[in-house]
Amino acid sequence: MPLSLSYLVKRVAWSITVIVGVVVLSYLIIILSPGDPAVKWAGHPRGPGAAKAVEQARKELGLDQPLHTQILNFLRMVFTGDLGLSIAYRQPVYDVLWRNLAATLELLLVAYAIGVPLGSFLGVFAALRRGKRVDGVLQAIGTVFANTPTFWLGLAIFMALLPSGFTAYGRVNVSLALSTGFYTITGLYLLDALLQLNFPVFVDALVRLLPPALAVAAYPVGVCLRIGRTLMADALLEEYVRAAAAWGVKRRTIVWRYAFRAALPGLVQVSGLAFAYSLVDAMVVEYVFGREGLGRLLYDAVSVNDFRLAIGLLVIVAAFYLIVNTLADIAQALIDPRVRL
Amino acid sequence: MSEVKEVLELSHAVRRAWIRSTRFKVGAALSSFVLLLAILGPLVAPYPSEGMGAVPPTAAERTGRPPSFEFPMGTDNLGRDVLSRVLMGARLALIQITTVVAASLAIGLVVGVLAAYYRGPIEVALNYLTEVFLALPAIVMALALRLALGQGFHTLLFSLILSWWPWYARASFVYARSVVEMDYVLLARLAGVPDRVVLLRHVLWNILQPVLVQAITDLGSVLLEASAINFLGLGLKPDEPDWGIIAQNGFKYITSMPWISLFPGLFILLTALGFSLLGDALREELDPRLRRRWKLWF
Repeated sequence: MPLSLSYLVKRVAWSITVIVGVVVLSYLIIILSPGDPAVKWAGHPRGPGAAKAVEQARKELGLDQPLHTQILNFLRMVFTGDLGLSIAYRQPVYDVLWRNLAATLELLLVAYAIGVPLGSFLGVFAALRRGKRVDGVLQAIGTVFANTPTFWLGLAIFMALLPSGFTAYGRVNVSLALSTGFYTITGLYLLDALLQLNFPVFVDALVRLLPPALAVAAYPVGVCLRIGRTLMADALLEEYVRAAAAWGVKRRTIVWRYAFRAALPGLVQVSGLAFAYSLVDAMVVEYVFGREGLGRLLYDAVSVNDFRLAIGLLVIVAAFYLIVNTLADIAQALIDPRVRL
Repeated sequence: MSEVKEVLELSHAVRRAWIRSTRFKVGAALSSFVLLLAILGPLVAPYPSEGMGAVPPTAAERTGRPPSFEFPMGTDNLGRDVLSRVLMGARLALIQITTVVAASLAIGLVVGVLAAYYRGPIEVALNYLTEVFLALPAIVMALALRLALGQGFHTLLFSLILSWWPWYARASFVYARSVVEMDYVLLARLAGVPDRVVLLRHVLWNILQPVLVQAITDLGSVLLEASAINFLGLGLKPDEPDWGIIAQNGFKYITSMPWISLFPGLFILLTALGFSLLGDALREELDPRLRRRWKLWF
């Protein structure tokens, strides 16, 4: 195993320290920005209960205590999963976050299941025809895909579907889900429907998922195409490829078993990083397609000044980034014999 | 002497790229087109005041016109000429991205170089700070700052700068560490050259080139990020002629007036593409590995 336990422990400890930093930073944003922190934490309440709500928020944050106590108190709130009730949803912040994270994750996973293999394959294809016209065209496509504003692509796909009479709006047809007795287990609707052998809901959820997933997939296709092409072109220049060719090894074996094997760790690392960025793309696309998910939370949090939800989002997105990066590094160590962690 | 050589190398790379890279030419054409629009926008826009968000007096009879000879990009829900809005947006877009990249570059270079040069607690602290900000995407940062500071230009800039500088810090840390370990830096320090001079002349100057090339590519990525923030309504105010904002406005009328969102999105794509191509072509010229002679052995 090219992966040591002490590395894992160190890595996890470091990630937790970073999350602590993120939490402290977000607390500083609340405290240092102009205006009364208690009013902000209570969501700028109006009406008869306003004074009470502000007082409640003041007590929650412990604003009468010294700064370090406040910060420790806030850290405790975040890490025990007790950020209070979301102002937008009137539910505990973490419940709202988990439910919506599952929706976003489903979108991202499907998008990457499409985007990474497609992009990598096209990259290999281009590398094998290096310098030819196909190579140039594919590289141009890759650059365009990696630079397309995702929200705009989402809008375009949404528009293109309108004449067909089918609007890919929302995650699932609610009346269909209710009539077939669909219930959530993991929050990933595709998986839930499969577990319950509920095929009508599976198909409905998939059909609604594909258009936004295609919009999100544009970026990984572009990135994997370009990186895959570069890495593969490098690998094909190596001496072992030449030697294998001289020994008369089959072309397909050389390409996929030897050269692609060398390009794979780089691809894994880059797609891991891209996966973490794409979370943001997924959020924007969800907003366009009216899907449940972290993107909608973003929008709702702004419209009602829901600071609790915003902090929850900050923490969860940062945690997502750290987890994905750690996993990508571990995956790389597992498949690349040169890397020892 | 190394300073002179570096500059020469960069300008050589630009010249070589100009001569033989189609990518560079397309990128240069696209980005200078946008730059030209940014300079001339107010002069060539048919209705500059509408471009800045003013509602025309004749709004009633010209709302939601599709693209025509009179209004090449149509008009929006308030009767404003979309072409004028998009043209006025070029300047705002360039101001946003150059400010963000310049500020992030400055912060990132300082943090990265200092962390690479001074070992021990300073290095750990600066790298920790980098890592914390690296974990926060601009959109989520924009949400927190939007709630804390309100809507506006400053919120947009702060959130983008705060999430971009760690990339430069990390890149310049890696480059600077390899420079710091070179003998000439050690010799300079032994010879009693003050830290300030070593840092500026020997370390900073030698890592500038790759980081600058990265910054050119990033101009496009920042635009994508900024317009997404504006599209979600977390950044600029609703009437600003920002491409993300115009697309957001068009999104509300997407079924009846699709052209409002179409054109600003296209301009975002073209601008981002231009800078990305420029950066790629330069990187290719500067990295000899990418220019190796090539023959497939089977």
